[in-house]
Amino acid sequence: MADVILKGITKSFGDKRAVDAVDLHIHDGEFVVLLGPTGAGKTTTLRLIAGLETPDAGTLHIGGRPMQGLAPASRDVAFVFQQYSLYPHLTVYENLAFPLRSPARRMDAATIDARVRQVAKMVRIDHKLENRSTRLSGGEMQRVAIGRALVRRPSIYLMDEPLSSLDAKLRAELRLELKRIQKELGATLLYVTHDQIEAMTMADRIGILSEGRLVQIGTPREIYTDPANLHVAARLGQPHINILPVGLLPGAEAPAGTAKVGARTEHIAIARQDGGNARVDWIEHLGDQNHLHIKVGEHRLVTLADPDMPVAPGDGISVALRNPLYFGQDGNRLDGRRLA
Amino acid sequence: MNSSHQTFAEKASRLATEAAVRATPEPLAKRVRGFSDRAIAWLFIAPTIALLLAINIFPLFWAIYLSFTNYRANRPNAEVRNIGLSNYSRILNDPDIWASMQTTAHFVFWTILLQTVIGFGLAYLIDRKFRGHAFWTTLILIPMMLSPAVVGNFWRFLYEPQIGLFAYAVSFLTGIPTSDIQMLGSVQLAPWAIVIVDTWMWTPYVMLICLAGLRSIPDYIYEAAEVDRASPWRQFWSITVPMALPFIMLAVLFRGIENFKMFDMVNLLTGGGPGSTTEVASIALKRDAFEAWATGRSSAFAIVLFVAVFGLANIYVKALNRVKQR
Ligand SMILES: Nc1ncnc2c1ncn2[C@@H]1O[C@H](COP(=O)(O)OP(=O)(O)OP(=O)(O)O)[C@@H](O)[C@H]1O
Ligand SMILES: [Mg+2]
Repeated sequence: MADVILKGITKSFGDKRAVDAVDLHIHDGEFVVLLGPTGAGKTTTLRLIAGLETPDAGTLHIGGRPMQGLAPASRDVAFVFQQYSLYPHLTVYENLAFPLRSPARRMDAATIDARVRQVAKMVRIDHKLENRSTRLSGGEMQRVAIGRALVRRPSIYLMDEPLSSLDAKLRAELRLELKRIQKELGATLLYVTHDQIEAMTMADRIGILSEGRLVQIGTPREIYTDPANLHVAARLGQPHINILPVGLLPGAEAPAGTAKVGARTEHIAIARQDGGNARVDWIEHLGDQNHLHIKVGEHRLVTLADPDMPVAPGDGISVALRNPLYFGQDGNRLDGRRLA
Repeated sequence: MNSSHQTFAEKASRLATEAAVRATPEPLAKRVRGFSDRAIAWLFIAPTIALLLAINIFPLFWAIYLSFTNYRANRPNAEVRNIGLSNYSRILNDPDIWASMQTTAHFVFWTILLQTVIGFGLAYLIDRKFRGHAFWTTLILIPMMLSPAVVGNFWRFLYEPQIGLFAYAVSFLTGIPTSDIQMLGSVQLAPWAIVIVDTWMWTPYVMLICLAGLRSIPDYIYEAAEVDRASPWRQFWSITVPMALPFIMLAVLFRGIENFKMFDMVNLLTGGGPGSTTEVASIALKRDAFEAWATGRSSAFAIVLFVAVFGLANIYVKALNRVKQR
């Protein structure tokens, strides 16, 4: 395990800047999650660290060693690919054992066997060890791919959406398991996902990527409560943050230059009131809570409500802001930091 | 009241039926004078089936019949007698025929070995996608596109000891006098002369199939292996070869069947000579059928060859399927 330091890493494909001057310091034993929309450059960042792509500019150090010009094999990284990329002609067991059988490792057969079986159990694939890897479901393949990384003890684990094709229950289980393994091993891990729950629950720090640039990096709490700009604010929160014009709702003291007000559920106070400033448009029942779609004049917003709140579509309602987020014309936050 | 209601329902259902009838396209058959669709389908494939019966199936059964008789094609008026299995017993006890089978086996073995090794090697190089690889691919494929008759004839010239380029080049490189390089005339060299020409002509074919196999291996498998610290050597043996193996085996199957009945090239280059050193089974068969005119016996020989190829190919295809299913 080791520190991984990216300085000004840049990579273009033709005219397309896939990764743009990314600075990132991943500390030894840290779990960093990269979050960003599709095409933001997440996969490319991982590939650059693994040495599968060569950066156009910038430097990369793993454990203090400069990585420039080093082949993937000499970088000591483990990679879980977005496409599972198992060895199709091998069994699950052989796939898991493959990285350990490298002659450079000089590992004896008994150690390999023990390690393979232990990891297979961790990722819940031990009942299929003798299956051909082509005869597995997508979720099973993904678990084998994770296992093939976990059998190793590399400087850093790179994982590209490793839980994306699992069902919700298994995903929640493996999320916990992965976090537990990472803590236990003290592993350094860079993890890419679209799933904000994964990001919020597993990450020590979250990095938000947008169009190749690392827009903000911080603890999940910082990213959530203190987003640097509209883009970051829009990545987290369920339901989505409401972007409203200034002065639409009472309760806000917008600083000078405010162009947009961002309001999540916790920034919105609602009360049932005939003749209030808004009207309930639609209610989505999610079971433990409701999504309340509200119309304020021409604007719509969505917030959470208790399932037993006595409202129906068409009812009048009063809506006020409570300490919302303020954004300037360029989309950057105006009000200061809230943490610390 | 009730009756008018009834009428309305009837009318609606009649209208609906009519609309449905109009919307359904009339079967093709109705439009082509009373044929059913099935009859028309038969009509379309009948010529192909007739042709197949006439030039493939009928001769096969006719040959099976002849193989049990003493029929000779140069004596059409002689009495044709059923002589049971005696043609077969003569074939299987004839040392010359066994010698020709052995010659065939040698040819098949060496041509396939060389073509597979060289073909796969070329495919592996071409797959590196160096600059101009498309040009080289086309160039390499040219021999395969020529007619075997043309290839046989110009290699006869190339092999000429006095004026041939081949003898000249070998003698230039090794210092052996050209008069000693009797590629087609020497007992030792003639089999190799044929192996060389067949390899020259058909290696591109094997290369093409191997290339398809190599291209079917996705890049990310190699990337995963690289991150897993597999050396290029290990990647080759544990990824490239096993994943391309079904394709290689397919190429071997095609070439094996083809070379088992190799005729044109041998006939043009050596005609089976010198002596009978290059007399492969198909040449022996032709001599028996059209020089000795032992039509019945040569039919039996043909059936024996057919069963042998068919049996071997079947065993092989089973093995191929096992490899593919792994
Ligand atoms: N090999 C390549 N050749 C050309 N363009 C590429 C290549 N790889 C990536 N790109 C481009 O670089 C940009 C970033 O791609 P990347 O795969 O890193 O996105 P991502 O954040 O992983 O997206 P996703 O969430 O969909 O996986 C995209 O616009 C993509 O089209
Ligand atoms: Mg990606």
